[in-house]
Amino acid sequence: MIDLQIIPFAIISIIMIGSSIMVVKSKEVVHSAFHCIIALMSAAGFYVLLSAQFIAVVQILVYVGAIGVMILFAVMLTNRGPEVE
Amino acid sequence: MGIFVDIYDGIMNLLVIFFSTWELAPWVRGILGGLVIGGVFGGALVMVYLERKFLGDIQSRIGPNRVGGRFGVLQLIADAIKLFTKEDIIPAKADKWLFIGAPIVALTSGFLMVVVIPFDLLIIKGNEYAVAVSRMDISILYLEAVSGLAIFATFMAGWGSGSKYALLAGFRNIAKMIGYEVPLGISIISVAVMAHSLDIVEIVEAQSSIWFIIAQPVGFVVFGIALLADVGRIPFDQTEAEEELVAGWATEYSGMRWGLAFFAEYFHAVVGAFVVSLLFLGGWNGLPLIGNLYIPGFIWLIVKTIMVMMVLIWIRGALPRLRIDQVIDVGWKVLIPLALLNLIWSTIIGLMWA
Repeated sequence: MIDLQIIPFAIISIIMIGSSIMVVKSKEVVHSAFHCIIALMSAAGFYVLLSAQFIAVVQILVYVGAIGVMILFAVMLTNRGPEVE
Repeated sequence: MGIFVDIYDGIMNLLVIFFSTWELAPWVRGILGGLVIGGVFGGALVMVYLERKFLGDIQSRIGPNRVGGRFGVLQLIADAIKLFTKEDIIPAKADKWLFIGAPIVALTSGFLMVVVIPFDLLIIKGNEYAVAVSRMDISILYLEAVSGLAIFATFMAGWGSGSKYALLAGFRNIAKMIGYEVPLGISIISVAVMAHSLDIVEIVEAQSSIWFIIAQPVGFVVFGIALLADVGRIPFDQTEAEEELVAGWATEYSGMRWGLAFFAEYFHAVVGAFVVSLLFLGGWNGLPLIGNLYIPGFIWLIVKTIMVMMVLIWIRGALPRLRIDQVIDVGWKVLIPLALLNLIWSTIIGLMWA
């Protein structure tokens, strides 16, 4: 019998791998930043599946809430892209 | 009076039977979650109505008085119909996915926060049952983590709109939030240190003898100011300063998308009022002044929350907006040192009580 946990694990894995690929493939820097944040959030999902809720919450607090915001803050100071100029 | 107490106890007993039956528990929690989200939605509606009436009183105006009788109680429904039927415009220069995603992220953050808010603690036959959608060991940390997600909504709207006003508002918001998340977090930590727990239910239970507003008044002031900045209300609403930035990050939104963005803000304000009354005003612990009259705990909590909401509206009516550099100065140079001092104070007091 297959463990039912494989379903959320598969969903989160697909989201994480897809967004990680999009971090390097996106044309716009802001999209890369947001895909990076989504990848970090799905890491929190893995921690929940491992029943490590505390690490999951800290992952969101530190990586998403602090580092993600810092990345966006830096990205905001850059140009929007070639088509605007 | 006695019969009401019996009815209340009967309902609560029924709830407890539902809660403790393992097979039914997920469904009951799901239904409770839907009810709570609906309740907080209703609370946000009440807050919008109260705000318009109350601000009208403060500014010697009448406020809404046309739709639904003399007091304009149906004004919000009229507004909602108007918002639903308006044209939904996405600007040509907008970044479509960020533009569409922003109100969704804002509301999601609000809904996730509601999950851990406890409304009462029932003790029946020696067992404790928290009336909450989910009881976690680390609920206050979770609350802080998901409330931080709301920053992304403002950024997505600001960047995705392709408008300089919205971009400036998003920039201001991130600059402000980097400064204010720190004192907010430190004052939450001081509360947790004093209560010896990260669970909101246990934090409220720790206040059964003395409320934390008395035990650490500095922490309450710091938390209140940081929370005002967090939910972005006057005097910290530089992100939507009407005189400077048209409507801030919501400038390019129209129709129900604007409605969702606007509503998410009030949702956060209501949840913030709940958090203040849970962390500092004793939650469901009543005042002992009433004597023998039996008042259920969640009514205490809701009364306290409504009073906090009224104070928020009062502050909005009474204070002018600060400049953005003043706001950031206050955050880094005043609130963070005060929050650290309060952390030392609460550690000492917490150790003495332990």
